[in-house]
Order: sequence, then structure tokens, then C-alpha cells
Amino acid sequence: MSRIVRQLGLFFATALFVGALVVTAQAKDKVKVGFIGPLTGGVSVNGIGGRNSAELAVKLRNADAKATYEYELVVLDDECKPNVAVQVATKMAADKEIIAGATHYCSATAIATVDIYHKFGFPIIVWGAVLSDITYRNKYAEVHRVNGTMIDQNDVNAELISKLGFKTVAVIHDTTDYGKGHNAYFSKSLAKLGGKIVGTFGVTSDQQDFTAELTQVKALNPEVIYFGGLTPIGVRIRSQMDKLGIKAVFDGTSGIVSDAFIQGLGPLAEGALAFREGASTEKLPGGKFFLEKYAAQKYDNPPEAYGAFSYAAMDLILDSIEKVGPDRKKVIAELANVKDRDSIIGKITFDDHGQNTVALITKYVVQDAKFVEWEDSEYASGKRKLPGQK
Amino acid sequence: MDVGLLSQYIMNGLMLGMMYTLVAVGFTLFFGVLDIIKFSHGDVLTVGAFTGLATYIGLRSVGVSSTPLLLLAVLVVAILAMAALGMLIARYLVLPLRSAPALNTLLITLMLGTVLREMVRLFYPQGANPKPFPALLPTDSINLGQFNLRLDNAMMLATGVAIIVGLRLLLNRTKLGLAIRAVAQDEETARTMGINFTAVVLITFAIGSALAAIGGVMNGLYYNEINFGMGLLLGVIGFSAAIIGGLGNIYGAILGGFLFAALQTLGAVALPFASAYKDVFAFTVVIALMAWRPTGLIQEKISERV
Amino acid sequence: MPEVMQEPQAPLLPGVVAVAFSTAYLIALLAVEMQPLVIGLLAFGIVAVLAAHYMDWLDPVSRSFAEREGVLSAYAILAACVVAAFFHDNHFVLLLFVTVLLYAVATLGLNIEFGYAGVLNFAGASFFGIGAYTSAVLNTYTAVPHLLVLLIGGTLAALIGSLLLLPVLRTRGHYAALVTIAFALLLKTFLEVNDVLGGPQGMQVKGMSILGWSFNDNFEIGRIEMSFYLNYFVISMLLLCSTFVLVRRLERSWIGLNLDAIRLDETAASCFGLDIARWKITAFVLGNFVIGLAGALFGMVGGFVAPNNYTFADSLIMVSILLLGGIGNPWGVVVATFIVLVLPEKLQTIQEYRFLLYALIVIVVLLFRPEGLLPRPVRRYFPRGRA
Repeated sequence: MSRIVRQLGLFFATALFVGALVVTAQAKDKVKVGFIGPLTGGVSVNGIGGRNSAELAVKLRNADAKATYEYELVVLDDECKPNVAVQVATKMAADKEIIAGATHYCSATAIATVDIYHKFGFPIIVWGAVLSDITYRNKYAEVHRVNGTMIDQNDVNAELISKLGFKTVAVIHDTTDYGKGHNAYFSKSLAKLGGKIVGTFGVTSDQQDFTAELTQVKALNPEVIYFGGLTPIGVRIRSQMDKLGIKAVFDGTSGIVSDAFIQGLGPLAEGALAFREGASTEKLPGGKFFLEKYAAQKYDNPPEAYGAFSYAAMDLILDSIEKVGPDRKKVIAELANVKDRDSIIGKITFDDHGQNTVALITKYVVQDAKFVEWEDSEYASGKRKLPGQK
Repeated sequence: MDVGLLSQYIMNGLMLGMMYTLVAVGFTLFFGVLDIIKFSHGDVLTVGAFTGLATYIGLRSVGVSSTPLLLLAVLVVAILAMAALGMLIARYLVLPLRSAPALNTLLITLMLGTVLREMVRLFYPQGANPKPFPALLPTDSINLGQFNLRLDNAMMLATGVAIIVGLRLLLNRTKLGLAIRAVAQDEETARTMGINFTAVVLITFAIGSALAAIGGVMNGLYYNEINFGMGLLLGVIGFSAAIIGGLGNIYGAILGGFLFAALQTLGAVALPFASAYKDVFAFTVVIALMAWRPTGLIQEKISERV
Repeated sequence: MPEVMQEPQAPLLPGVVAVAFSTAYLIALLAVEMQPLVIGLLAFGIVAVLAAHYMDWLDPVSRSFAEREGVLSAYAILAACVVAAFFHDNHFVLLLFVTVLLYAVATLGLNIEFGYAGVLNFAGASFFGIGAYTSAVLNTYTAVPHLLVLLIGGTLAALIGSLLLLPVLRTRGHYAALVTIAFALLLKTFLEVNDVLGGPQGMQVKGMSILGWSFNDNFEIGRIEMSFYLNYFVISMLLLCSTFVLVRRLERSWIGLNLDAIRLDETAASCFGLDIARWKITAFVLGNFVIGLAGALFGMVGGFVAPNNYTFADSLIMVSILLLGGIGNPWGVVVATFIVLVLPEKLQTIQEYRFLLYALIVIVVLLFRPEGLLPRPVRRYFPRGRA
């Protein structure tokens, strides 16, 4: 019996010893920063592009001899689902070693997690989500954003549609806060310009079959179908529109500005409209520098539409930590004072809600399997016509 | 309501019903022969669709571009592969567990379905993303007012009908069909009559899985897209359809499949503000039907040894 | 009257040692972050259990658990408190621990339905979700005291479950499975399209507060800062203990006997005059109440509810926990919940593969050891020492 007791005692002691060793070994010198984005699922190309861009910022900073600290990037996947986002956000914010984070491409996830970052006092800079409520619903000192909001996007959208002479629009939007936000702002903007919304349809973000909605849309015979949602269902709606013989203009938002949209539709993508805050990456002040450095890393995926914003967000975080040290409260105070800070996307200024103003909205149209800026396209010059354009 | 619009809805319903029927018939065949529910059937459909896609991509990369040839190759490979998979599942997972409590088999096949689904998601390149499925059927359409009749839908519908008629002929007019029906009625007596039980079971599974493969490819052609989760909902709907119609009865499966599609279409028409409610509506009716007729509309005759 | 020989009671020591060792192991596993160390610890744990099995050390442990359960349960509670105290300021570990406790409670509810009465319920996560949504709605729109909210959550889950009673009672086997599966899918779709309940975006849930003590604020004892999750830990522990006691008492009572009879052979049970419908209803309603209760508390702990958390796949996870641990054995449920929920968190590399691994493990368990890790011991009809 005593032999057994001794052996058990040995096990017990070893376990405790290992545990103690490991726990003490946690205290280290590195500074951890975080990144959250959709790395799997329908919009993963955007998430991976954003992650690569944030990684690039950290790598360049670590290679810089003048940097005071060595940075480690902790990457978590929110799968573009609000419930998963809440879990990973809690995990990141609860970890005292991570000082700040660049978070979220999907608006649905960003709006779900702002309260968590506030609860744990974790400073974040949003790099891709456009829902305005994220920064404007509450006044949280922890929450900032470098990209623009959807209000301006939808103003420009409604303007272009009216200018081209289209009067009747059917709205299809997804039922997350992202789609609902787009619906709200677009409807307002269009109403101001005298356009008419003939029908509004809410769909779930993973819906497969749109024949029910599209059959009703066909009966309403609109000239334009406005789509407020992300690429996966955008692809499905556009291809099922074709199946039902609906010939209307497909008018999307920043959610479909992605190579996956064109790949998924092939020739059907031709003539689709889209809008996005900020200039195309090449035309940004630091765009060429960013694209060069990105290409040098030989990533499998392109930076996609918001890669530059992710890089700028991470860079700003690293700058702040360099200035005030790895302390969450000090970083929050420092980020509150960002005015006319230079970055690859231009000058960043956070207003009292932590929102950066991005004045320029780029209009895109899909021409020959590429997103081409509207002004440069053959549709603007009249050589090609959108369906139903006079 | 406009006749054209009505016809469009009916067409949508028919297409859905056809796909559900293909899955439901599989469920009913398996139940008839072995008295088990193979819950992984829906996921076999997914694997079939992905196999078809992989074949397509493979053939395209070696330069084959003739569409009918591609379509044929996709179908043949998917059917053969799924028939093989079905036989493997029968041989190694289902037959050995015949003596175990029915609950265990149900759970094992449920988990097997999860395994198949996760394997597609994890091991097919970028499996978590929805994948565009090529349009291998002619996409011309005839516009009759509000109704847009597409050639590929019509062809798929015709193919589905042909398959079901063919299956009926197989079951009722051939020796193999006779053997299957004998085993479904009474396993022991069928064995004493000289029927090779294992062979019949394997062949039944092969047929059922082949039907699933066709359903998967059809689904891909209809939506021009496949994703790893498509089998879960289709499997449950196929199962509900088979049960509504009464397990073990082919006609019941067909009835159930079209009934479920009709319920969904009805729900979509009656509740235009949110078409997603159609699923809620359809499933509620299914549960109510189960309460009213616990063994399906075409009653299964059960006898139990006490 | 002849004297009946009393068998000596099983020694307490093996049980205590097992509890102590498990606690140390758990603390080490939860504290370790680096992947190679985690894998090493896990391998060590598996080897240790196998070695103990071969050296016949597990038999004395299970006997002492079976016979000295009261004392050992007290030790187990103490052990849990030690673990919580060790991680008193680590938010994430405490959150994980509380999640495990609440999932264990919910699976115990499922155990009453499935393990004792044999009523198939593939919608466990849906009832969990009903409880969670109840606390979300009540906390946001009303001022109902939060403890009452928990009870209302449980009651609502039980009530909605009773809508399914008629189909569940009338069907058997596969047909019964369909009813709950259809309900699981139905509820998720309903929650997703329904804007009133937040739709796919979900709802935020205000944290719990009892008599003014807010559960969502960190507090301090002396100068040591404690994570606010400790508040939830205390109440989850209370809930788990009461549920465990309830399940145990239920099993040993005449109610449990009736449930077992129905599960094992319905026809024979009804021949003996047992009212099948009554007992099935009791088990189903009670089980759903417990699941709803756990769900309501979990909603407040997480602070967020969304339809995607309560899908059919999550119900399957609960069923896998039940099967893995051993149907009908509450201790098995607790151990299996730890394994199923803690492992993927610790082993980041398998996070993506976790559904695949669960399904494979359940298949293996069903093929080779259908009773589970800790099989349910044979019922003891006569208490110790009496003939």
C-alpha cells in the first residue's frame, strides 16, 4: 500500500511542479498585439488579406532597429459569425498580455463585440467593418476605426443610380445589422433624390435558395436591384437572377468588392456596380509602398480591398505602443489624441467617437472580369451600357 | 395571381421536390432492406457533388472541353464513387451492427454524416467556402410571360422522372428487384430461398448512394454552387419526406418529397415578407403530421416481438 | 434472526487520491499555454490512466466512489474551489470553467431524458438556447430579479418542450428522433429570421446582479483582485451541485426505477401497470427545465446570445458528451464535459478539427465500448447491510 502511495505522491508532485514551472515561465518580455478577422467561411479572402497585411506591419516593425519592443501577432478567427466573434473577442480581451488589436472585417461581428472590448478595457482599431453604429452607437474610448462608414457610400450609390436615369429599385439585404444598416441608409439617400423603392426583401446571410424572393422581384419589375450584403450570397443572388430571366442592374456595396465575387460568377459579373470608401490601393498615398512590401513577402492571397486599412491600423497601434509603452490604459489615452497622423492610407484623425473620416468614395463597375473605377470604365464613356440604361 | 407567376412557383416546387425525392427514396430503400436509418445519406450527397466538381476540374485541367462529355464524366464518376462509398459504409459500419440496439446505429450513422461533412470541409482545398459548380446543361430559356422556362431545369426534371420510373421498373420487373423486395419483407425467409443477403444489401446501398450522387450533381447544376453543409439540411428534409410518406414504401418517399417541397413553396408564397419562414412552416407541419400519424401517411405495418 | 455479515465499507483513500491527482492535473492543463507542453501533458495523462488501468488501480477508485459518494463529492467540490482560487484573476480560464460547469448541468438534464427514460432528444442545444434567450429578453426589457429569471428560463424551456410531447409520446425509434431534429432546425431558423429576438445578430444580455451585487464587476478581497467570473463560478457550482444531487436522488428513488423500467422494455413496463405516458412526460419536462435553467445562466455569463450558438450540431455535441461519459452516470457526464470542452481550447491545433474528432470518437466509443468511459454501475436494490 505504501508503495502505491509513494508512486501516487510522485505523480502528484510532478504534476504540480510542471504546472508551477510553466506558469512562472509565462512572464516574458515580448509585446503581444492581436488581429481578428474572418479566416474561414465565405469571406475568408478578405480576412486572410487583412491578416497578411497586419503581419506585414509587425514584420516590418520587428525588422526596424529603432523599435523599442519586439512584437508578436496573435491571430484569431471570427468566421464572420457574431457568436464566434464574441467568443474570440472575449478570449483576446481577457488575455492581459495582449495590449491592443486590429479587429473585424464583418460589421455583424464588429457590432457584437464592441461591448466586450469596453468591458475589458481593450483598445481596438477596426479595419474593415463599415456599419456606422460600431463607433457611433456608444461613446467607448476603446473603439476606433480607420476605414469609413457606410453612410457616405450609400449617398454616392443613390446619386449614381439617379444620375443614370434609373427610377425604380428593389432592395435585397441580409438580416444582420450590416445588411439592415445598408438598407436604412440607401433607402434614405434614394428617397431624397426622388427614386422609388418598389420592394424590400430581407434574406439570411447563409441562404441558398432565393427563387422565392426573386420571383416576387420579377413581378415588381424594377430597373435596379440593390444588394446590401456580402459576397457569398451576392454571387448566389446574381446567378439566380439570371436563371429567372431578370434583367436589372445589380447594384452592390463594399461587401462585394472582392475577387471571389468575380470568380464565383464568371461572365455573369459583368456590369455589376459597387462602391467603397477610400481610393483603390494603388492610388493611396502609401499604396505603392504597401503593395511592394506585400508582394515581397510572397503571400498566397492578395491584400484584397481592405488590406491597406488593416496595415494602417496595426501600424498605428505599434506606433502608440512605441510611444507610451505596453499598457492598455495609456494606449487608449494616446489613441484619443490621433490628429492628422500620417499613414499609408493618408492622414488619420479620430473624432470624439474614434472614427476616422474617409472622404473619398470610389465607384466601381465590373468590366471584363475586373473591378474598374467607374470614371475610367467604358460604361461611363457610353461605349457599353448597363441593362436598361438609356 | 398571374398564371405565369404561379407556373414559376410550381416549377420551383417541382425542382425542389425532385431533389428531395431522390434523397428520400434512398432513405426508404435502406430502411426497407435493413430496418435502419442511415443518417449520413445527406452527406453522401455532398461528397458526390464534390467528387463531381473535382472530376470536372481535373478533366478541364487536362484540356477536355466538350460539355456533354464533361457532364457524362462528372455523372459517371460521382455515381460510381458514391456507389462504392455506400457499399463500404454498408459492409463495415452497418452490417456488423445489425444486432446492436437501433439507437446505436442511428447515432453512428449520424456521427458518420458529421465525419463526411467535416472531411469535405477540412480536406477539400478551401472546403469551407462555397464553390461554384459549372453550368454543364444548356442555359437557354423560353420566356412565357412571367414564367421563365429554362432548358436545364426541364432536362433535370425529366431526368429525375426517368430515374424514378427506372427504379420502379427495377424493383418490380427484375430479379434483383424481387430479391430486394424479398429481403425487405423478411430477411430470414429470403435467405432460405437462396438469396444472397449480403450481396443484396450491398447492391441496395450502392443504388441508394448512386441516387444521392445524382441528387448532388443536380443540386450543383441547379444552384450553380455547392458547399459542404448542403447535405445536412437536404438529409433531414429527405428523411422527413421518407417518414411522412411512410418508411419502406417507395411511393411514400415520392409523395413525401413532393409534399415537403409543396409545403415550402406554399410557405414562401403565403409569407412573402420572409421566405426563410418557409422552413419553419414546413417543419412545423412535419411535426404535426408525426403527431397525427406516427408511422407516416402510408402506414408502415409493424409487428413487434414482445 | 440470523446476523447478516456486513461487508467492510470501501476505503476512502483511493477516491481522495484520485480527486487530488485530477485537480493537480487540471490546474496544470489549464495553466499551460505552449502547445508542445500541452501535448506532453495530455500524453502523460493518457499514459497515466492506461497504466492505472493495467495495474488495477481504477477498481478501488470506482468502488470508493460508488460507496462513499457523499464524502467524495464534498472533496470534489473542494477541489473545484481550489482550481477556481488558483486562477482567481485569469478571466479566460474561469470563463472556460464556468462554461464546462453549465454544459455539465445541461447534459445532466439530457441524461434524465435520454439516460434514464430513454426519450430521444436531439434538440438539447435548442432548449439551452430558449433559456438563454429568456434571460436576454427579460433582462433587457423587464426588471425581473435575476434569480427568478433563471427559473422562468427553465419553465419556458419545459413549456415549449411540452408542445412536442404529443408527437414524442406517439412515436418510437426513428420517428421520435425526427421530431426533435425537426424541432432543432425549426427553432434555429425561427430565431434567425425573427427580428424581435435580434435575428442573426443576436442580443446582448445584461450581466446578473443579485441584491445590488453586480456580477459583472471585478471585486477585491483584501488586496487581491478577483475576476468577476468568480461570481458566476459560485452560482454555477451551486447549480451543478443541486442538479447532481437531484439526478442522484431521482435515480435511486422509485421514480428512477420507473424510468429505467420504461427505458428497458416499454411493453413489459406497461404490463406491470406503469403509466408510460406519465413517466415519459415527467422525464422530458424535468430534463428540459434543467437544460433551460442552465441556458438562462449561461446567457448571463456570456453576455450574448445568437441563433448560431444553438444549432443541431451543438445538440449533437451534447449527445456525444453523454455517450462518451457513459449514459446514465452523472460522474461520467462531468468528466466527459471537461474533456469535450477543454481539449479543443487547449489544443489550438485541433480547434478546426474538433467536430471531426468528436464524431470519430463517438463512433469508436459506440463500436467498442458503448457504455462509455465511466459506465453506469448496476443498480443496487438493497442498501448496505440489510437483506
